[in-house]
Amino acid sequence: MNWIQRLLIGAIVLLLVYLLRSRRNAQSRAWVKVGYVLFVIGAIYAIIRPNDTTVVAHWLGIGRGADLLEYALVIAFLFTTMSAYMRFKDLELRYAQLARAVALEGARVPPDVVEPAAGAKESE
Amino acid sequence: MRYHDVWIIIPAFNEASVIADVVADVRTVFPNVVCVDDGGRDDTGDRALAAGAHVVRHPVNLGQGAAIQTGVEYARSRPGAQVFATFDADGQHRVADVIAMIDRLRTEDLDIVIGTRFADTPPERMPVLKRLLLPIVAKLSPASRKLRLTDAHNGLRVFNKTVADGLNLTMNGMSHASEFVTLIVENGWRVAEQPVHILYTDYSMSKGQPLVNGVNIIVDGLLRGKLRR
Repeated sequence: MNWIQRLLIGAIVLLLVYLLRSRRNAQSRAWVKVGYVLFVIGAIYAIIRPNDTTVVAHWLGIGRGADLLEYALVIAFLFTTMSAYMRFKDLELRYAQLARAVALEGARVPPDVVEPAAGAKESE
Repeated sequence: MRYHDVWIIIPAFNEASVIADVVADVRTVFPNVVCVDDGGRDDTGDRALAAGAHVVRHPVNLGQGAAIQTGVEYARSRPGAQVFATFDADGQHRVADVIAMIDRLRTEDLDIVIGTRFADTPPERMPVLKRLLLPIVAKLSPASRKLRLTDAHNGLRVFNKTVADGLNLTMNGMSHASEFVTLIVENGWRVAEQPVHILYTDYSMSKGQPLVNGVNIIVDGLLRGKLRR
């Protein structure tokens, strides 16, 4: 295995670990934005001067610029997928908490039950 | 009444055809029943209420785990509630088993008693694939193995106020059973298994889980704890 391949695979694993461990705080969101801006700049450059990607690929020991781009895209795709998945899970949990609060608010008690003094239930 | 401090929690999703009978059956012994209508499209809630259950209705469908959590939160806020039981709405559990489990919870030094289908011989009418796979699932889960549990996904559980107060299920769907076991390990709750009989009726089998859903349960288990609670 080529050393750049090792490096890229390592980067994938590191990104996953970072993403799984990171809390969704303002700092990690800021880094995601910085990464996105760099990604856009890099993409535009690669489109304008496609042959340069081959030069960079040769520096890294890869045959073609297209391969280098493919590796980078695979990482970006994995990162995006995982981050969307985690965010959805997080939202799902909050959504459940909201629905639960609504449900408990509207609880119906069978007629034969004597309700405790008003306010007792809400004291919890 | 002997069981005035017991609350039976029945999560139900579109169970209108059976819910009244199940609630009535439970209420012959246990006066306090809460049915969580998980945002179904039929009149499950109305029928459960008419049969004497307290009814809490999710405005949208969330899944069985979320329904159990809602039911437990409702029951633990009721005055005098000390013992809690989760009970399936499809009529596959027996009230006699709940009575035996409550007796055990009270006489032995336990926080939670979980039903098992694999204590002696596998239950009649259990589908063959399930009979083979469920014990393997129980052995694969590190938490289950640690507690020596034989049945990872039994819906019949009896527990005390310590467990009810500490319960915080975040897996809304069917992964809550594994999450429940993980919570037992994390909190150090004292657990025992009780052999129970499951009535595999045609109705309950039609409502059962396809086995491929086990993949969801495994992935949810791996990701659990990585999420904000």
